[in-house]
Amino acid sequence: MAAKYILKLYVTGRTANSIKAIENLKDTLKDGLNDICNLEVIDVLKNPQLAEEDKIMATPALVKVLPPPVRKIIGDLSDKKKVLLGLNLTTN
Amino acid sequence: MASKLHKIPLGIHGFDEISHGGIPKGRTTLVSGTTGSGKTAFSSQFLYQGITECGENGVFVTFEETPTDIIKNTKTFGWNIEKLVKENKWAFVDASPDYSSSVEVGQYDLGAFLARIAYAVKKVKAKRVVIDSVSALFTHYQDSGVVRQELHKLAANIKKSNVTCIMTAERPLEDGQISRYGVEEFVSDNVILLHNRLNSHGERERTIEILKFRGSSHDSEEAPLLVSVRGMDIYPRPKPKLRGKGFSQKVSTGIKGLDDMLYGGVYKNSTTLITGASGSGKTVTTLHFIMEGAKRGEESLLIEFEESPDQLYRNAASFDWDLKKYVDNGTVELLCHYPEDIRAEKYLQIIQDQVIAKKAKRVVFDSISNIQRIYNERKFRTFVIGLNAFLKSHDVTSVFTNTSPQILGITEITETHLSTASDNIIILKYVELGGRMHRLVSVLKQRGSMHKKDLMEFEITAKSGIEIIGPFKDVENLMSGFARRIRQMRKEAERDLIADAVAGKI
Repeated sequence: MAAKYILKLYVTGRTANSIKAIENLKDTLKDGLNDICNLEVIDVLKNPQLAEEDKIMATPALVKVLPPPVRKIIGDLSDKKKVLLGLNLTTN
Repeated sequence: MASKLHKIPLGIHGFDEISHGGIPKGRTTLVSGTTGSGKTAFSSQFLYQGITECGENGVFVTFEETPTDIIKNTKTFGWNIEKLVKENKWAFVDASPDYSSSVEVGQYDLGAFLARIAYAVKKVKAKRVVIDSVSALFTHYQDSGVVRQELHKLAANIKKSNVTCIMTAERPLEDGQISRYGVEEFVSDNVILLHNRLNSHGERERTIEILKFRGSSHDSEEAPLLVSVRGMDIYPRPKPKLRGKGFSQKVSTGIKGLDDMLYGGVYKNSTTLITGASGSGKTVTTLHFIMEGAKRGEESLLIEFEESPDQLYRNAASFDWDLKKYVDNGTVELLCHYPEDIRAEKYLQIIQDQVIAKKAKRVVFDSISNIQRIYNERKFRTFVIGLNAFLKSHDVTSVFTNTSPQILGITEITETHLSTASDNIIILKYVELGGRMHRLVSVLKQRGSMHKKDLMEFEITAKSGIEIIGPFKDVENLMSGFARRIRQMRKEAERDLIADAVAGKI
């Protein structure tokens, strides 16, 4: 496990979707992926300029910043498999 | 101040007129149109003029073009948006296509988008917001229900924050549904349509139409929309009010004999129509009028469709008139064009600008038939009425010429709508008599004044231009163009009578 993943999760305050997305993502990463993933949760209500820089429209939005290519997953991340596929991450 | 209509000036020339005061304040107005109808130019001008002319800062949310593109494209209008961005007067929310791939997993909303708009509005203290175009949202996200719901929220936020908003929408077809995805139904009470059609002359014609402004009045017809180097201009149909002053002061036509026929010239701010066949002396008559004004130091505007400046100078010089001198010193403004080069709406604009800038007191349009040739009847009438109303209200005395198609005989001048729009009508004509062509002038009408009813013969001489010789008497059938001397007719009648008597018919 050499590669380090940098992930950003954009949420909108404490909405239902935001809370679900945080929980779902933590659940997805709990099986050994926490170590290789650096996750930052950003609240767009507090930091709208960061959303502007990353051109985020929909929330929740998970952005894989590194390694390239940049990938975006929008939604409450309720489907683990799809999330991992979208991030190009595979669990053993 | 509580304005009764709650409208604000849009900043596009002519818009405030067709919208009876501007765009609804603190509301969202949908601007829908097909590709190339000018939605982006229209909405960016709304922001730009808002900042530069009304001191209202703005946010531009762009979906299709990048901010860089918009900055670059509007440079052709002479706008420096980059500077406005630096001065914190203009903010972009960049929602242009993002090429990193994105997938949807589970439920989402457009919270970030709304937060970004709110942030930008706060940052520049915006009073105006543009979203160009909302249709794009539907193509970006699979769940159109979410998009609708979020647009509702956006419209509500906008209402709350008291900013005036333009949302543009894509229209699939001219004369089809108002917008793709039926956006108008849920974002806005106010709808403007931008049209882009091919006209019968094979030219693209852009127009603007206000479909609805809830709770407020507006024009209900389409108005031409032209894009020029300074941006967009709207040319509403002139809604002239009959309010020109009624002067009792008369203005000389520059032709002594004609002034006599008119009992001292034409009234100040009246409109005179000179109608006659090609070569009947119309242009010379108008030159008299212009030169007379120039000699008195009155500014004038001469719009000429048939002769170039050089031709006019030469012709004037043949009467010893130095027209060029007056053009050079600015007393006379000369506009020579092929009428096809400029749209009628633009002409109105040019004439209005000139009259206002130069305070012109005399305007000549030689000949109006050239404009008539290009436009349909309604458009032509609108043009003439609009022009007349403007000239009258600015105390301008004007002369229009009309080229009648026939050399001899009677021409209908009533059909052209010119006769009712004119205060005075002067007819120039040729008649044939005794194997010779004679030039005749008559005054058909002069509103509010007596005039001589005689048909007068005139000549055009190198010495003095038009010279009225005297009444053309003892002649009948003049209007037909084939005149007969009355004496001669009597003689013929007598001869016929004698012949009949001899033949025993009587």
